[in-house]
Amino acid sequence: MNEFVMALGWVGIYGPMALGAIGSVIGCALAGQAAIGAMIETESGHGRYVGISAMPSSQVIYGIVVMFTLNRAVTPEAAAGMFGIGLLCGLALMFSAIYQGRSCAAAINAAKAKPEIFGLSLAPAAIVEGFAVFAFVFALVLSADLPGVK
Amino acid sequence: MSRDAYITLITSLPYAGELFAVSQTPISRIQLEARLSFLTPEDATQLQAIEGLLWWSSHSHEASDAEIAVKTKRLLGELENEWLRQLIRQRMEFRTLVAALRRRRRGESAADLNADWGFGRWLGVIHRNWSEPGFSLERAFPWVLEANRLLREEDHLGLERLLLGEQWRTLDQQGEGHYFDFEAVVAYVLKWGIMERWSSYHGEGAVRRFENVLDDAVGEYVQMFA
Repeated sequence: MNEFVMALGWVGIYGPMALGAIGSVIGCALAGQAAIGAMIETESGHGRYVGISAMPSSQVIYGIVVMFTLNRAVTPEAAAGMFGIGLLCGLALMFSAIYQGRSCAAAINAAKAKPEIFGLSLAPAAIVEGFAVFAFVFALVLSADLPGVK
Repeated sequence: MSRDAYITLITSLPYAGELFAVSQTPISRIQLEARLSFLTPEDATQLQAIEGLLWWSSHSHEASDAEIAVKTKRLLGELENEWLRQLIRQRMEFRTLVAALRRRRRGESAADLNADWGFGRWLGVIHRNWSEPGFSLERAFPWVLEANRLLREEDHLGLERLLLGEQWRTLDQQGEGHYFDFEAVVAYVLKWGIMERWSSYHGEGAVRRFENVLDDAVGEYVQMFA
């Protein structure tokens, strides 16, 4: 039983990084496809389309920070908490990256048709980013209470 | 084709804009075909079948109403996507109603209609209410009385504007919630067809005007050398 709980602890450590990376991969790919489509259609502004398509990459960075924060001696006392915080934070980061990618794709499509709404069209993606930041910050806050800081 | 794969295709298509605000299509047919090459062969075949049914130019002049009704039923049987089936049903019912208005204007009576003259759920209602200005379908088709008036006044351009505007509005409504999928591609291509039709009317008008100007100019010389 102890081994299983310890294994969950390791999942909790690596989870935020891995799930954040999966989310960022999908999110950046979705927005990147939109950027490529927009580049076919437009003659200028290609740089900003590529820039928007990189927005969902922040989740993997948050995941890395949470991973290092949770990285401590895996003990039966701390493992369950590490698993809970790491996995749930990772899932939040993954889904936020995927849906941010969709928001970015829609923003690129809209900004291509109406360049004047470029800034405003990014608002939904920024709001999604805000939720990812919540998941990130509170994972850091809660992990401080776990036993066994290195 | 996965849903996400439509993102590149949709974003590569220029904004359709407002129907009556444009004098030409935002993209040429050749360019549109090039962009549609992103579609899988299955999607491309489906789109081709839908265009083949819904665009008049793809029907031969000899095609009878019954043949078109059979073609519609066959395509509806082949399609699995309920959104596409609904789109086709609505468009064919729309056309049936317009055909009924034109037939009545031409002096035909309800008794002249054969079994396969139209398509959809309103055939019986139209038949029973032949003498009513809007066939008692004003609730389902609020534009029908206006269309009847324009037809009666022989305002052909006004009628075409009304009908194309209605088709455009319906596509806008049906396209809601579809941004990066095959449905969005179909809606775009059908809108392109409407724009192409409307802009071609301008072209025809220009040709007519050019011919009139030419006739006037040549007429002067004809009189000079007579």
